[in-house]
Amino acid sequence: MKLTVKSLSAAIIASTMMFPAVSAADEWPTETIELIVSYGAGGSTDTTARKIADILSSQTGESIVVQNFPGAGGTLGTTKAAGAPNDGNTLFLGQISSHGIAPAIYTSLQYDPVDSFEPIGRVYSVPNVLVVPASSPADTYEELLELAKSEKLTFASSGVGSSVHLSGELFKANTGLDIVHVPYKGSGEAIPALLGAQVDMMFDNAPSAIKHIQSGAVKALAVTTAERSPQLPDVPTIQEVGGASMSDFEVQAWFGMFAPKGISDEKVAEINKALNAVFETDDFRDFAVSRAATIDGGSPEDLRAHVANELAKWNDVVNTAGIPKK
Amino acid sequence: MLANLQGAVDVFFQLQNFLAIAAGVLIGLFIGAIPGLSAVMGVALVLPFTFHMDPVTSILLLVGIYKGGVLGGSISAILIRTPGTPAAACTTLDGYPMTQNGQATRALMGALYASCTADLVSNICLILFAGVLASIALKFGPPEFLWLIAFSLTIVIAISSGSQVKGMISALIGVIFSLVGLDLVYGTERLTFGNLNLMSGISFIPMLVGLFALPEILEFYHKRAQEHSARALDRSKFTLEDYRKCAPSIFRGSFIGVIVGAIPGAGATAAAFLSYGLAKRFSPNGDKFGKGEVEGVCASEAGNNGVAGATMIPLLALGVPGDVVTAVILGAFTIHNLAPGPLLFQTNADIVYAIFLGVMFSSIVLLIAGRFVMKSFAVITRVPGELLMPIVFLFCLFGSYAVANNLFDVGVMLFFGVIGFAFKKTQIPIAPFILAFILAPKFEDNLRRSLLIADDWTYFFRSPICWVFIVLFVASLVWSARHEIKDAKIDRQGPQS
Repeated sequence: MKLTVKSLSAAIIASTMMFPAVSAADEWPTETIELIVSYGAGGSTDTTARKIADILSSQTGESIVVQNFPGAGGTLGTTKAAGAPNDGNTLFLGQISSHGIAPAIYTSLQYDPVDSFEPIGRVYSVPNVLVVPASSPADTYEELLELAKSEKLTFASSGVGSSVHLSGELFKANTGLDIVHVPYKGSGEAIPALLGAQVDMMFDNAPSAIKHIQSGAVKALAVTTAERSPQLPDVPTIQEVGGASMSDFEVQAWFGMFAPKGISDEKVAEINKALNAVFETDDFRDFAVSRAATIDGGSPEDLRAHVANELAKWNDVVNTAGIPKK
Repeated sequence: MLANLQGAVDVFFQLQNFLAIAAGVLIGLFIGAIPGLSAVMGVALVLPFTFHMDPVTSILLLVGIYKGGVLGGSISAILIRTPGTPAAACTTLDGYPMTQNGQATRALMGALYASCTADLVSNICLILFAGVLASIALKFGPPEFLWLIAFSLTIVIAISSGSQVKGMISALIGVIFSLVGLDLVYGTERLTFGNLNLMSGISFIPMLVGLFALPEILEFYHKRAQEHSARALDRSKFTLEDYRKCAPSIFRGSFIGVIVGAIPGAGATAAAFLSYGLAKRFSPNGDKFGKGEVEGVCASEAGNNGVAGATMIPLLALGVPGDVVTAVILGAFTIHNLAPGPLLFQTNADIVYAIFLGVMFSSIVLLIAGRFVMKSFAVITRVPGELLMPIVFLFCLFGSYAVANNLFDVGVMLFFGVIGFAFKKTQIPIAPFILAFILAPKFEDNLRRSLLIADDWTYFFRSPICWVFIVLFVASLVWSARHEIKDAKIDRQGPQS
């Protein structure tokens, strides 16, 4: 009995000593958090990261610093994030490019989208919109298809390998139409080309397209998501108007939060919980609405499954479109 | 309209807005003056602090930084031959020789008055002609761009006068380095040697810092053993007579800046060189350009500051950023759930007009702040080289790294420092290199886009804009050829007389 009491006392002391140690190791956040963005300041990934950082920082009371590491189509920053410390104080805002398209295109990536990262949670998704200039003779999706059969059409993109480009390639592959891809350096050059009718069509990201649709500068013929966008309720989905060949056509630019591989499950759960709390705020909801985005949220497993689907899908598109691997 | 103006007055006339503009311009001046820290970096650094401000206050703070940054870039360009921002690269050509000639203050004040004039012209054009200029900018398709760039490339001839062959060699090397990176159409790698860091091409700011600043540092240590004397106190002045003499170049440069700025993707650096090149051609002092001519400084600064207000035209009128800085400012609009573009004029006209009032006010702040701040920078000319050079070198290292938080860019800076030193020793001019580096990819991209879109060759001559630039292109070549022949004749006759 004496032994038992002694053992029990030791166990209690040991557990009380261990408890703070365990809790300190799993507590999050413990210091300034670095949120890595693999594009320059001002773009959609950057503004999304800064919005999340701003709300998360006010909720957790810890500073969150957005760090931009632009270059090489976003792969430099992603590589940097993959090699960052896995203590939960460095996070990465990944997106369709880093964890979907880039692995399908680049053979020399210095990160593995699955093995180098631990998924935390999905953020939001935005549709692409098939738009034509206001002066285009096509007013509907069907009319555009007819036009494409009778004359040479061109579509603009914000660069080879962007979701805007690959939406066009997927469209070409599904319709069998030969539409010429005209690449620009970023959407800042591509959109003026569309507004000025230098090109015939574009699969623009909804956040940048929506203001031009509302002003009448461009006509929206279809959205690339399975459901209609709440911000563009009158615009049909491609699945609705595209017939059998488009029955599974779905493209959405998406964002997700990742941590470098090796972070503890407890911290992943903690950060996921904090991230989902951000999505509950009116501030973030308004921000998402202004970008025509649908908040995804959910568990780390949801993001893991989503990444697996995206990797397979874009690999197929790149192979079908014959885009050379680099 | 009147109701909108009344609303804008109410929104704008707040103490916080005046403070934001003043703080922005001062921050911009300091950031711009540090080599490698560009206006875009300043705007990006301050962006998070604007989240909790009123939309107008936050936009005006960022616009102030942008304008201050562009002007600030000229300070280090003039004083230490290091363009603080890429757009100031052209200012070094005459600004630094002026400093060496003991005219640093005159150069700084010339840059200030030219910049403020151009800024004012640019702002007035933004307010009065945003819609018209934006619609003209949209008419610039691939062939129109192609001829504009072809015309701009003829400036290489003007800025290499005196050593045409060396100028062409410099431009050719610039073209070769511009090829590094991913090909636009197929996305295949060119001259990257499998290096991930080179996939986006050579980073422009570290390259500029290396080309201009490092050779000066190397030269200093190379020559120190032989000679070094403290510079005389700089009491030079930029007079009203100077302004009158430079006025044609300043106003020409302002309008070039406005036109180039209104076209998305054209760029302030190209505008500065275009303005400089044309000033050199049309000025009676053209022969003195490159040796410390204040008109060269004014032309360059008018060109790059003329862009500052005009890049807001595509942003506000179309919702499309005209350059990288306005892309960040667009981000600020987004954060505040505002969408720039025609709809903003309808839904938030008071905000748009308040921003207009703010940008006009920023011109005044730019003049006042520049008048006091820039002159005090001239004290640098009195700092002994032994102290100044290591500090400049540290700035070069820090600025190059800070562009993308990438150590590779420091290597790029050092590499181009050696190239710049070699250029200096062999008297190969740097300006054609930079102009070719900027314009050659734009030429290639637009040529390839034209070829993708065109049904036949008539596409290249499809619009009056094409023809305007074709005429300018041909006239420029003819003018240069005649000038060269005339110079050659004088050279031949010279020894006989």
